[in-house]
Amino acid sequence: MSSPLPTYAFFSATPGFFRANLPLLLVVLVSAVIGLLMVVVFRYTSDQKAIHVAKDQLKAHLLAVRLFQDQIPVVLASYGRILSGTGRYLKLAFKPLLYVILPLVLLIAQVDRYLGYVPLAAGEAFLLKVHTANPDSLNEVTLQLPPELTTTAPAVHVPSDNEIAWRLMAAKDGDYDIEVIADGQGFSKRTVVSSGVPRVSPVRLRGRFWERVLVSGEPALPDSSPIQSIEVSYPARSIHFAWLDWNWIWLFFVLSLVAGFFFKSVLGIEI
Amino acid sequence: MKQREPRFARGSRLLMLLLAVCVLVLAFPVRSEAYAGPGAGFAFLSSFWTLFVAFLYSAYAFVTWPFRHLFRWLRRRKAYGKAQIKRAVILGFDGMDPDLAERFMAEGRLPNLAQLRDHGTFRKLRTTYPPISPVAWSTFMTGVNPGKHNIYDFLARDLNSYLPFLSSAEISAPKRSVKIGKYTIPFGKARVKGMRRGTPFWHWLGKAGIFCSVIRVPVTFPPEKFPGVLLSGMCVPDLKGSQGTFCFCTTRSHGDKFREGGVRVPIERRGAVYHTYIPGPDDPLQAGSGSELRVKFEIRPDTAKKQARINVDSEAFTLKVGEYSEWIPVKFKAGLGISAHGICRFYLKEASPEVEVYVTPVNIDPGRPDLAVSHPVTYSIYLAKLFGSYATLGLAEDTWALNEGVLDDQAFLTQCYSNHDDRERMLFDALEKTRQGLCACVFDTTDRVQHMFWRYLEDDHPAARGVPRDQRPQVIQELYRRMDDLIGRVRKQIDDDTLLLVVSDHGFKSFARCLNLNAWLHQNGYLTLKDGKSESGDWFEDVDWSRTRAYTMGLNGLYLNLAGRERFGTVQPGEEAVALKEELRSKLNGLVDPSSGKVGITGVFDCDTTYAGPYVDNAPDLTIGYGDGFRASWDSVMGKVTGQIFEDNLKAWSGDHCIDPRLVPGVLFSNRKIAEEKPAIVDVAPTILKLFGLGLPAYLDGKPWMVGMKVAAETTRP
Repeated sequence: MSSPLPTYAFFSATPGFFRANLPLLLVVLVSAVIGLLMVVVFRYTSDQKAIHVAKDQLKAHLLAVRLFQDQIPVVLASYGRILSGTGRYLKLAFKPLLYVILPLVLLIAQVDRYLGYVPLAAGEAFLLKVHTANPDSLNEVTLQLPPELTTTAPAVHVPSDNEIAWRLMAAKDGDYDIEVIADGQGFSKRTVVSSGVPRVSPVRLRGRFWERVLVSGEPALPDSSPIQSIEVSYPARSIHFAWLDWNWIWLFFVLSLVAGFFFKSVLGIEI
Repeated sequence: MKQREPRFARGSRLLMLLLAVCVLVLAFPVRSEAYAGPGAGFAFLSSFWTLFVAFLYSAYAFVTWPFRHLFRWLRRRKAYGKAQIKRAVILGFDGMDPDLAERFMAEGRLPNLAQLRDHGTFRKLRTTYPPISPVAWSTFMTGVNPGKHNIYDFLARDLNSYLPFLSSAEISAPKRSVKIGKYTIPFGKARVKGMRRGTPFWHWLGKAGIFCSVIRVPVTFPPEKFPGVLLSGMCVPDLKGSQGTFCFCTTRSHGDKFREGGVRVPIERRGAVYHTYIPGPDDPLQAGSGSELRVKFEIRPDTAKKQARINVDSEAFTLKVGEYSEWIPVKFKAGLGISAHGICRFYLKEASPEVEVYVTPVNIDPGRPDLAVSHPVTYSIYLAKLFGSYATLGLAEDTWALNEGVLDDQAFLTQCYSNHDDRERMLFDALEKTRQGLCACVFDTTDRVQHMFWRYLEDDHPAARGVPRDQRPQVIQELYRRMDDLIGRVRKQIDDDTLLLVVSDHGFKSFARCLNLNAWLHQNGYLTLKDGKSESGDWFEDVDWSRTRAYTMGLNGLYLNLAGRERFGTVQPGEEAVALKEELRSKLNGLVDPSSGKVGITGVFDCDTTYAGPYVDNAPDLTIGYGDGFRASWDSVMGKVTGQIFEDNLKAWSGDHCIDPRLVPGVLFSNRKIAEEKPAIVDVAPTILKLFGLGLPAYLDGKPWMVGMKVAAETTRP
C-alpha cells in the first residue's frame, strides 16, 4: 500500500462542516478565482472598444424596434441588424476564448480528478474492468491484489467488448496499486479508498493522448502492452447546492459566470 | 541574417495555432472539455440575452400586430387620404443667407442648390421680428407670430429685478426636498418648464398618424410628448444649467476673467503631474450656498512628444497639442448616491512650458440623460448607442471660447464640423427610419461659422484688420460648399413623392460696429444713472430706476419703464407711453454713425402693430432694427451703460443677423415649384399641414403656399 496523498491528509484533518461541504467550497473557490482570471484575461485579449461599440449598436437596434414600431420595414431591418450584430459580438467575444481554452481545459481536467468522482469507500464493492487489444488475450489476464483488497465474485469475460471485469472490495481506506498481469507483464492501476476529496484517476490508458490528458491521471500503458485500458468504476460525484444536485462542472459554469459578471462590474471591464 | 517576422504575422500564427488546438479539443469530446469556460459563457449569455429580448418583443409585436395594423390603417387612411405628399424633408440651415447663396451659386460653388433653384424653387424667406433664431424657429414650428408663442429673444426680463432669464425654459429645483441643518436632500429630478407657447405642426401630424422625426430644431427643450421622435436643439442647457460654460485650465496665473461663457481654473503642479478640475453644477445638497461640484483630473505632459496623458474618472487618454479628445463621460458626485452625468471634450492647447487644457461645456449625457433631451427619452439614448456620444448643449459650438481667444480659428472649426458630422449621421438615420411622414433637421453650423468668420469675408472688418487679404481663409465659402454637398447626398435618399424644403430662419450681415443703445438712452435723458456714476455695470447695476423711462437689454428689445408693470416704473401706461414710444421711434429711426455717416438703425417697430396674441404684454415695447453693419453692442446686450454710443466690434463674432428683419431674410429652396412670391417662415407650418391633407387651425398666422406636385427629375436625383 502506498502512502495517502497530501490532499487526503489535509482534507481528513478539516472540521466536520468543511469536510462535509468541501467539494462545494472547492467549486466556489475555483469558480471565483477562474471567474476573476477570465475577466482579466478577457480585458487584455479582447478589443474592448470594439466590444463596447458592438454592444451599444445591438442596444440601439433593440431600441429602434421600439421607437419605430409602426414602421414595419424599419422593424424588420432592425431585426436583421440585431442578428448580424449578435454575430459580430460573438466573434469579438470568442477571440479571448481562443487564448484561454487550452489552459482552462487542462485546469478543469486536473480539478476534475478531485471533484469528478467520489473515491471508493471501505467495504463497498466496485468493478475493475480491463480492455485488451484482442479477445484471445482475455484468458491470459490475471490480477494481483494487495492484501486489503479482495475479489467478491469471479471474473466476467465479455469477448464482444474485449473486456474482463472483476468485482472487488477494500477492507479499509488507502491508496492501492492493483497489478494486472497479461502476457507475463505486470501493469498497475491506482485505486483510492477514502472518505475525503483525494485525487482520483478512473482509468489508465494505452495511447489516446487527449483522452489520457483529460480523463486519466496516470502514466500511459506501454505501447507494447496487450492491455488497452484498466478502469475502476468510481461513482460520479454530485454536489448539493440550491436544492439541486449538480455535476461540479455545471455548478462551476454557473458560479464562474456569476463571479465573472461581478468582477467585470468591479473592474470596469467590458464583456 | 535572419529577418524578424512582422508582429502581426506571429500574432496571427499564434491565433491559428490556438484555433487549431480548440478544434482538436472540441473534435474529441469527453467529459471536461465539453465546458468551454466563463468566456464562452459571457459571450453566450450576452448575445443570448439580446436575442431573447428581441424574440420576446417580436412575439409581442406579432401577437398585437393585427390590432395595431388595423388601428394604424384606419388612422393612416384618414391621415394620408387627402395627403398630396408621402414625405416631407425639411433641412434647416440656421442663418443661411440668400445673397451669399446667390453669389456662390453664380460662382458655380453650389451645384445642388443651383439645381433646386433652376428646377424647383429659390426664394428669400421673410423672417420674424426680431430675426433671432429662437424667435424665428418658434414661428417656423408653430405657424404663429411671437405674440402667440411668447419668444422674443434668448432672454426675457424679470419685471421685479430687471434681471434677465432664459426665455425658452425655466429650470428649477426638484419639487420635494428635506432640509437637515445646512444640507438639503432633494427628491426627484430638477423641474423643467417650457416657456414657448403654441403647438408645433408635428404635433398635429403625429395626432393624425403621420410619423415625424424632428432633430435639433431650436426651442424644443424641454421635449414635449407627441407621436414621433424628437431630439431637442438650441436652448438645451449644459450640466451647470447655463447655455454653455467652458472651462480653461491653465498654469498661467494671470489672465482676465472671461466676460462670459467660461471660467478659468488654475492647474496645480505636484512633481511631474498636474492637477486641476472641471467645475460642475451647484451642489444639490448645499443648495444656495454657492458650493459647486467638481470632477478632478490629472495631466501628465510629455514635453518631448508635445502631448499629455489625461486621467479623468476611470478614463485615460493621450492628446497631442492641438488635438481634441472624444466625448469623455464625467460624473459629478454630491454624496448620498446623488450624482450628475455629463460628457465633455478636452483640447490640449499647450503642453510646455506652460500647460493649458480647454474643456468644452459639460453636456448632458445623451446616453444617460439626467434631464430628458429627447422625446421619447430613449431616442437620445438610441442615437448615443448607435453613433456614440454627441453634443446635446443647445449652443454646442463654443463661440465664446473663440471670442475670448481660448480657442483659435482651426480649433473652433474642428469642433463645429465634428458636431456637424454627428448631425449628418442623425439626419441620414432619420431619413432611413422615416419613409413616410416628416423628417426635419436643423443644422447650426451655418449660423455659428458665419457669426465667427464673417470678418474674413469683408475687406475692412475691424476684427480682421491686420490680416492680409491673401491670407484670409475662405471659411464661409467652404461652409456653403459643405451644405450644398449635404443637399446632394440628401437628394439621393429621397424619391419623387418627397417634398424637400431647405429653409433658414434668417440671413446674415456684417457686425462691424456696436451700438450701445443704453448709452444713447443715457445721453438723451431717457435712462439715468445713480448720482456720481457716469457708467453702469452689468444688468443696470448703477441705474436709478426712479428717474429712468426706457432701457434695453437682449439683442433687439427696448423697454419702457412702465408704471404698474416694472417694479420701479415711471412711465404711465396709455397716452404717456404711446407718446414716449413715438418719440423714441422718431429719434432712433435713422440714427447715424458719425464716424462713417452710415445709418445705424433702419427701423423701430412698435409691439402694438408688430405682434398680436395673448403674450404681447411680454414683448419689448419697441423692437430695434439695426442697419447693415451694426448690432446692439456687447455691453448693451448685458444691460451695461457705457460712455460711447458707437464703437468697433473687434471680436471674432463678426457677423450677425439681429438687425432690421427686412435686411436679413432667410432662404427657401425646394424640389418643387412654389408659387408664392414672398414666402415667410410663418407659412411653413400651414403649408406642411395642408400638404399632408390636414385642416388648418384657425389661429395660425401663416398662409399655405401653392406647391406644385410635379417634381423635376433634376431636383431629386443629382
